[in-house]
Amino acid sequence: MLRIEGLSFRYPGSDEPALREVSLAIPTGGIFGLLGPNGAGKTTLISILAGQLRGASGSIRVDGAPLEELRRREPASLGLVPQEFAFYPMLTCAENLRFFAGVQGLAGAKLGERVAAVTAFARIENVLKRRAATLSGGLRRRLNLAIGLLTEPRILLLDEPTVGVDPQSRSFLLDSIRALAGAGQTIVYTSHYMEEIEAICDRVAIIDAGKVLREGALTDLLRDEAAVVPVRHNNRSLEALFMHLTSRSLRD
Amino acid sequence: MQVLITLWIKEWLALSRDLHGLAVLFLMPAAFIVIMSLALSDVFREGASRQVVFAVLAAGGPNVSQALADDLAGEGFTPTAAPENEAAAREQVRRGRPALVLIVPERFGADPAAKLKLLADPTLPPMQIAGFLARLQGATLGVKNAAPPLNLEVVGNPRGGKPSSVQQNVPAWLIFGMFFVVLPISALFIVERRDGTLARLVSQRVPFSMLLLGKVGPFFVINLLQTALMLAAGVTLVPWLGGESLALPSRWDLLAAVAASTSLAAIGWGLLVAVASRTLEQATVIGGVGNILAAALGGIMVPRFVMPESMQSWAALSPMAWALDGFHAVILRQGTAADIAPACAKLLGLAAALLAAAFWLHQRRRT
Repeated sequence: MLRIEGLSFRYPGSDEPALREVSLAIPTGGIFGLLGPNGAGKTTLISILAGQLRGASGSIRVDGAPLEELRRREPASLGLVPQEFAFYPMLTCAENLRFFAGVQGLAGAKLGERVAAVTAFARIENVLKRRAATLSGGLRRRLNLAIGLLTEPRILLLDEPTVGVDPQSRSFLLDSIRALAGAGQTIVYTSHYMEEIEAICDRVAIIDAGKVLREGALTDLLRDEAAVVPVRHNNRSLEALFMHLTSRSLRD
Repeated sequence: MQVLITLWIKEWLALSRDLHGLAVLFLMPAAFIVIMSLALSDVFREGASRQVVFAVLAAGGPNVSQALADDLAGEGFTPTAAPENEAAAREQVRRGRPALVLIVPERFGADPAAKLKLLADPTLPPMQIAGFLARLQGATLGVKNAAPPLNLEVVGNPRGGKPSSVQQNVPAWLIFGMFFVVLPISALFIVERRDGTLARLVSQRVPFSMLLLGKVGPFFVINLLQTALMLAAGVTLVPWLGGESLALPSRWDLLAAVAASTSLAAIGWGLLVAVASRTLEQATVIGGVGNILAAALGGIMVPRFVMPESMQSWAALSPMAWALDGFHAVILRQGTAADIAPACAKLLGLAAALLAAAFWLHQRRRT
């Protein structure tokens, strides 16, 4: 269980906190969806979980132990697939995979084995020798995911992993992520696409302005939606609940 | 160590595919060496204005020395206190201050065999020496209507005589080129940050200090390659195009020490610019303009000896001037480890300070 309690964070120089007393319980295994409009605090939360931002108050625990302790003990226990194409465009796919495996301590036969495994999983075998800069959007997303899986992390943070890909690649990525959850990985998934969250997530949290507005099992949220969403939203869906909770005003 | 080697390999691969970056690092200083060595050859041949500090060491004692120094002062020649003896004079000239010491032996003027001796700094343009000799001839030295008998000795110069344009310009533009690693270092770092690669590496618990070290190794090798190739250009390319050949130093270990210190300072500068800049444009402007200002101030673009004295004291603030002093101590003055120590210490101190500043700034932005 990944448990976040009373997590608050303010960027230096900012008047408003980016996260306010965020508390979430993310069960082991399964996919936890993090929904929110632009600027809601999703990426800030992911960045804190990934260890990129420091100075947050509150606690983050994995099976009762502080996350920081787990990351110190098992650095590869947490994987991040950022929104950006976080690899080197001037290197080939194979060079990128070997590099990220190497900096995480993989070497020799184990390195080769893991590179082969994630290559097969993301189906990028045919482009291993191509420079990453020359890949299509879908292939880049798959390479981005493959790098995040090199160390078989227990917890995988996926920040908008399907942005800008065609329907075929999206479908492939969603199937792949489902397969990972099926194998026991805990996945925290952020997306703007409601249908994706509805399609793959077991539990969902809707956050806005740094606060958690709703959290629970997806089925419970959809069942409760009828009670809270006004009649003008005649389609009963996560999107209707999301729009009701976060209001319709533009955010950026 | 495995992480560091992995980072070095990545940096090498990325660099080897950045043709523009490599062109800046290798072709630019080579072009400057050739162009400036040829363009300034006449300046070095015929001299330029310079405040030259000189001393007189007369066998007749301090009063005689002072009187002669007063006679010779003026028109760009400034007297300073006489050294204790010839050995001290030789040592001081080898370090460039004073640039000239006139040694007047006993019975000079009375005994035709007693000759004056002039010790000269090898970086001094011959025109300045000629100017001093002209003043010497005009001064009252007991020799009337004739040039005084004199032995001229340029202390430490491997050419055994005058310094040339190529000896000034090769180290100068080599240093300029070495400091331009700021551009590829900051460009790659900012792309890493912009694309989230740096964030990914941090999330993988790769220490930031390791990421910084990962950049030091490959760029250090690049700087040493630059040194070897630019010296080769001075020995082969410049004479092939009609200039003089660079006289290489005998102490390669000292040359390597100066090059290494310069390289570390340049890499430290590159890393600080990389961390401090938020965009590629910022890094290009800060790094590029910073380098050009340091070069202009530090005697790279305009030799320090043509600067007015007040400007020469400002020049001492430029790290490129420290590096130039180090290279001159090895290449022109055939100096010892003690001669390059001040320059190397300043460069290494700067490198440590810049690296620490880059690390501190990164940590500050992370919280």
